[in-house]
Amino acid sequence: MAFLDIAGIAKSFGKSRILDGLDLSVGKGEFTVVFGPSGAGKTVLLRLIAGILQPEAGDIRIGGTSILSQGPEARDVGMAFQNFALYPHMPAFENIASPLRARRTTEPEIRRRVHEVAELLRIGHVLDHLPKQLSNGQKQRTALARSLVCSPSVILLDDPLRNVDAKIRYEMRQELPRLLRAVGATVLYVTQDYKEAMALGDRVGVLLDGRFRQIDTPAGIYGAPDDTRIARLFGDPPINLIETAARDGRITIAGTAFPAGAAPGAGLRPEDVEVRFEPAEDAVPVDLEAVTPLNVRTVMLLRAADGTEILASRPEDQGDDPGRGRRRAWARLDLGRALYFDRDTGARLPAATA
Amino acid sequence: MATLTLDAVSKIYGPRLSHPVRAVDTVSLALRDGELVGLLGSSGCGKTSTLRMIAGFESVSEGTIRIGDRIINTLRPAERNVAMAFEGYALYPPLTVRDNIAFSLLRDRIPKAEVQQRVAHVAALLEIGDILDRYPQAISGGQQQRVSLARALVRRAQLSLLDEPMSQLEPQLRAVLRARIKDYLIEHRMTTVFVTHDQTEALALADRIAVMEGGRLQQFASPTDLKRRPANFFVASFIGEPPMNLFPAKMVRENGGLAVEVLGEDGTPGFRLPWPHAGRDLAEGRTVHLGIRAHEIRLGAPRPGETALDGVVVANQWLGDQSHIALAVAGVRLTIVTDRALAAPVDTRLALALPETALHLFDGDSGLAIAHGGRPAVAAAA
Repeated sequence: MAFLDIAGIAKSFGKSRILDGLDLSVGKGEFTVVFGPSGAGKTVLLRLIAGILQPEAGDIRIGGTSILSQGPEARDVGMAFQNFALYPHMPAFENIASPLRARRTTEPEIRRRVHEVAELLRIGHVLDHLPKQLSNGQKQRTALARSLVCSPSVILLDDPLRNVDAKIRYEMRQELPRLLRAVGATVLYVTQDYKEAMALGDRVGVLLDGRFRQIDTPAGIYGAPDDTRIARLFGDPPINLIETAARDGRITIAGTAFPAGAAPGAGLRPEDVEVRFEPAEDAVPVDLEAVTPLNVRTVMLLRAADGTEILASRPEDQGDDPGRGRRRAWARLDLGRALYFDRDTGARLPAATA
Repeated sequence: MATLTLDAVSKIYGPRLSHPVRAVDTVSLALRDGELVGLLGSSGCGKTSTLRMIAGFESVSEGTIRIGDRIINTLRPAERNVAMAFEGYALYPPLTVRDNIAFSLLRDRIPKAEVQQRVAHVAALLEIGDILDRYPQAISGGQQQRVSLARALVRRAQLSLLDEPMSQLEPQLRAVLRARIKDYLIEHRMTTVFVTHDQTEALALADRIAVMEGGRLQQFASPTDLKRRPANFFVASFIGEPPMNLFPAKMVRENGGLAVEVLGEDGTPGFRLPWPHAGRDLAEGRTVHLGIRAHEIRLGAPRPGETALDGVVVANQWLGDQSHIALAVAGVRLTIVTDRALAAPVDTRLALALPETALHLFDGDSGLAIAHGGRPAVAAAA
């Protein structure tokens, strides 16, 4: 049964409708990532749940009870923002303690809970520091501690790793799920970084045009995106979307015919394109135009005779050295892993009809 | 087409103050004809000041800059025959995008037909063919950046200087545009220096990367060398996603030979690796940093020459084309990268094998590389 249940939410600013009949059900203790491009309404959704904004339509329930009539203070919800939003004149301890003080918690209880959460987040040694004396990573942990200190049943995190340096962002990406599981919280986490979404989420909701267009596990979205738009948002380098033509039981991709069923448009992940430097069967002859290393992978831009561009990616240090400049190559497409999309709507077609 | 040479170049702000600031400190670089070089570092590292001195927007405090054999220190920017795309190096508002891109070619009296053809080519390359008749204020910031880049690329100048050329590209376009730009620069043999804070951009585009920190050049090397042979602790911790696993460690004696003992966050001993490469100035008790490249760690039983470790899964994150797995190994945190998804939930015990090539040692004090794999690090040219 859903613990956090959001149904038919609408919210507009002036004439523009940001959220338009949005639904989301989250189980207790689940880590759900709200993913979408900037301007999709991710932050607006969190603010509606926190009670900072009011929806025009729809309902938000926690544990079966509507919370819309409750003020922000009364809601069993903690929130941390991407810009930390710490009180500059208060030491870390008081920043973390502030929601407890607002609830008139006793002094010994405040001390116990602040120290407990600070220990968990490894900031116990900087509790008497002012925000300006904290590193960005410590600020971010302090803001996180403040959102956790009341042990809220729902925690809202608005792109909390955006403004910290790459090293801390990477560490926290590995740590956050464990930390939040330790406090048993139900989490909604906003990001526009697909890697963060995949790394963190039990499930990921893709927010586009005011609604969740797909909600699934990271592997489910990456492997079976509902449409071309979602397919292109997950993956770097992004999925190749290639026009295809079907004739006499064969499918032509980038000028080369393959024995496969009819298909309107194929989506092929760069990691499913293998580059060979000798002629190969069932391979598209291409020009290798550029080799661009990307972290632990090597990305290659290929161009077929009909002008189609294909990106290929493989683990670095594997296969022959692709060299620096243009050369002849052959692209073997793993059509068993291809996705097929409707040419007009972009919707993914079931493999059986493809 | 040209070579570019920086010889002990410094930029000193406030030279007569009691504490002058050396924003760029005796940097020497030699670019080959047609080479693509990235200046990489975090903000304040001196990379932009370096580029601005090459462009002529900043005076050179010390040292010389040459294009070919000609010293350009005191030439005005316009006399350097250099194409530039700088942040805030504004487009001409009264001209359309097309005329902005064509401007320098028309000024150089290149025939109209050729100008048209070259403008159309770079516009298609940068996906701005549909906005050529618009004015700069009517297009987005990201599009303005691409127009500025097109204006530099179209000239095919002897030297091109690009300041954060792709910082505003939407992620879905980045991979293909980077590759097209690289192909274009190589095809026209354009010697190019670009500044970036984004290592993925530097690794993708550059033949060699100059990593800077604190005004100083840390290493000038190919992307492969930066990853496989980082010159010092800073480069090792800066390059790579995830960066190299790095641990404080010390040399200890074990079974009559030397071993590296890794220390945990609180200084307690973690795991040990035998270090059979004696006679290389690595005495017992010496403090070092051990570096282990995340994606060279293998899963499974060790082969000859590899060291076995085992760890418990702390996080296992599948990113579509690779998995990042964090493990606790004898109380120390180690990250590995694999190409495939691995069904190993939190708390699973995994056997690991460390090939010698994955291991790097850095001096505990200076941070300079001591060894890559089992081989001694070759001292940098400096």
